[in-house]
Amino acid sequence: MDIPFDFLTNALVDIPFDLLVNALVAGLLLGAFYAAVTIGVSISFGMLDIVNIAHPGFIILGSYIAYIVNTRLGIDPILASIVVAPAFYALGALVYQVYYASFERYGQEALRGLAFFFGLLFVTEVTLILVFGVDYRYVEAPYIGPSIPIGIIDLPLRMLVPCLVALALIGTLQLFLSWSFLGRAVMAVAQDQLALQLMAASPTRIKRVAFALSIATTSIAGALLIVIQPVEPSIGREYIGRVFAICVLGGLGSLPGALIGAFLLGIVESVTSTFYGPSWAPAVAFGFLLITLAVRPAGIFGR
Amino acid sequence: MRTLTFFLVCLAVAAAVFVLARLVGNDYVFFAGYVVLQYIVLATAWNILGGYTGYVNFGSAAFFALGAYASVFLHKAFPVVTTYFLDEPYALPIPALIVIGAIISGFVGLGMGYLTLRLRGAFFAIATLALAVVLQTLITNWSYVGGARGAYVIRPNEIEPIGPYIHYLFLLMLALVVIALTVARSIERSRLGLGFAAIRDDELAAEASGVPTLKLKLIATTISGALMGMAGAPFPYYIGYLQPSSAFALDYAVNSIAMPMIGGTTSWVGPLIGAVLLGTLQQVATVTISSSVNLLIVGLLIVDCVIIAPTGILGLLQGRRTARDVVADQAVFALLFVINVIPIYFLHQEALSARPLEIIFWAVLIFLALARGRMIGLPWLVALPIVGAALSVVPGPSWLWLVSALTLVICLACGLLLRPREAIVRSGTP
Repeated sequence: MDIPFDFLTNALVDIPFDLLVNALVAGLLLGAFYAAVTIGVSISFGMLDIVNIAHPGFIILGSYIAYIVNTRLGIDPILASIVVAPAFYALGALVYQVYYASFERYGQEALRGLAFFFGLLFVTEVTLILVFGVDYRYVEAPYIGPSIPIGIIDLPLRMLVPCLVALALIGTLQLFLSWSFLGRAVMAVAQDQLALQLMAASPTRIKRVAFALSIATTSIAGALLIVIQPVEPSIGREYIGRVFAICVLGGLGSLPGALIGAFLLGIVESVTSTFYGPSWAPAVAFGFLLITLAVRPAGIFGR
Repeated sequence: MRTLTFFLVCLAVAAAVFVLARLVGNDYVFFAGYVVLQYIVLATAWNILGGYTGYVNFGSAAFFALGAYASVFLHKAFPVVTTYFLDEPYALPIPALIVIGAIISGFVGLGMGYLTLRLRGAFFAIATLALAVVLQTLITNWSYVGGARGAYVIRPNEIEPIGPYIHYLFLLMLALVVIALTVARSIERSRLGLGFAAIRDDELAAEASGVPTLKLKLIATTISGALMGMAGAPFPYYIGYLQPSSAFALDYAVNSIAMPMIGGTTSWVGPLIGAVLLGTLQQVATVTISSSVNLLIVGLLIVDCVIIAPTGILGLLQGRRTARDVVADQAVFALLFVINVIPIYFLHQEALSARPLEIIFWAVLIFLALARGRMIGLPWLVALPIVGAALSVVPGPSWLWLVSALTLVICLACGLLLRPREAIVRSGTP
């Protein structure tokens, strides 16, 4: 019987320098995008303790809305997503209200709340499959295609633009959380809900706003996703693990932490898929998550 | 002793099921029945961790696939074991594969639990998701067991004393069901089950009163994982051609959560009821409708069930009431109403034979309208979806369908906008 573990001995390739640099840069760009995808979960899971595993479902929904607006009206997908974000905010508020009324109020969010979001994820995914089919969809925009060469580095605009939008999104949210009254209230919920109640403030209202915000970010993240790669309904599943990996990696409830976690994961994935092939990338991401959970559950920048 | 009685009763029922299936004389019964039985094992296994202990496992498919791929590996590694009475080359007997699958999945479950169970509950759920993806990637890249292409496992057509091979597989799965149910029931009635329930209800309090929580949780993950691995071990022989996407299919993860949730998570009967109902429904549905609609129905049933009937069908049978006050909440009413229309719409586009399935969702809509109508003092609201259902399910000209859709829109709008002065607004505190 021959040893069938050939996949483990699979080649340590000698690494060309310019390929490595390009992989690193691509990883950074990818990381910023991952941060935009994660930021919502950082708020809902990290700060509010709501394990919203339907988050990727909302992101894919955002992608498809950007796709519809782009193909029907010819509007820029990212611009369209910002216009649609208030609708996602309303959707988020509705979902939180349901979550609160059915589970949180009775303290049953652990099992049934999780199952609720799991079901929601399925309903959105399968509905999208039924409406649009499983074909890959893509958008058209002037920045998809060309790239800027800087020395040996090749900066594709379809990655650069989402990267910048993502950074702007995270910056805005961070400013909102640390400077506005409402934002600080959200941070207060994250720290101690009971204390907030003792101050005669309703954590429910604040949580609703924060959760709705986290869903509003999925609209933009969805548009970024469909700019970066063609989208079909079930790719959302790949993002479940990725998103929670980043969230845990950076430390729960910390936006800068999530950004750094996202950069790390982006670089690791990009380097892996450059040198070992893309089929290995998901395992690396999730392996990262498992190791983080085992070794340092509070995350790299956790409290 | 009572466990023994239970085991014997189960065996007798299983034997009766097998004899009945043989009497039907159609092999399709065995093919469909095998899947339902497999879901009973998976749902029961999930429930030992999810229902008794309160830890959600999203990675059922991973444990299942581990069992299946262990079989594929052994099938390839030991291809020729010539038995006494058969001339043809023959792989390891499936019962041995089941035991091996159970051991491997059990160990992975133990390791999984050891990695994550010291953390808060939600992390465990996320980690199980991660585990599923890591394993799937490993298998996809491992060419020995077929890799992304998949592996053929040729099963013999006949087996000596029983006859057609599918009968043999069916019988094996029946045996696994008996084992799984006996294990679940004996856990439920033992100190172990008491400890699990204590963890589920309040882990901190349990730990403070001296329940060895970590140890118990590790036992739960191991047993649950092992049972799932057992369910997966005969799978390659059933399907004949195993590829990662079918072994790690989301159906397993979704169904093994949905079935206990729908049946009821507090007792071994719940997953059994849920798996038989939902499994049979799906087997009927796959014949008539597309598999996407099938998944949509399951996903939606999860959402409906966790909100409307928190204790599952079992709870309803035991006379515990549905969460009518919760459903009457404005937001819950709006969201549930809208998403329950989705499957009705898609089922309507399928073949005419799919129409009866619509009734489930019409019933939910009627219940929603009833609850909301009582809350806002408009009892006539319930009439609208009833009319809609009658118009929709009965085959007729297409404009009837439009009228039916109109009744739903009116019902939703009235439910959300109308608020008579004398509205009885019950306080929502539990």
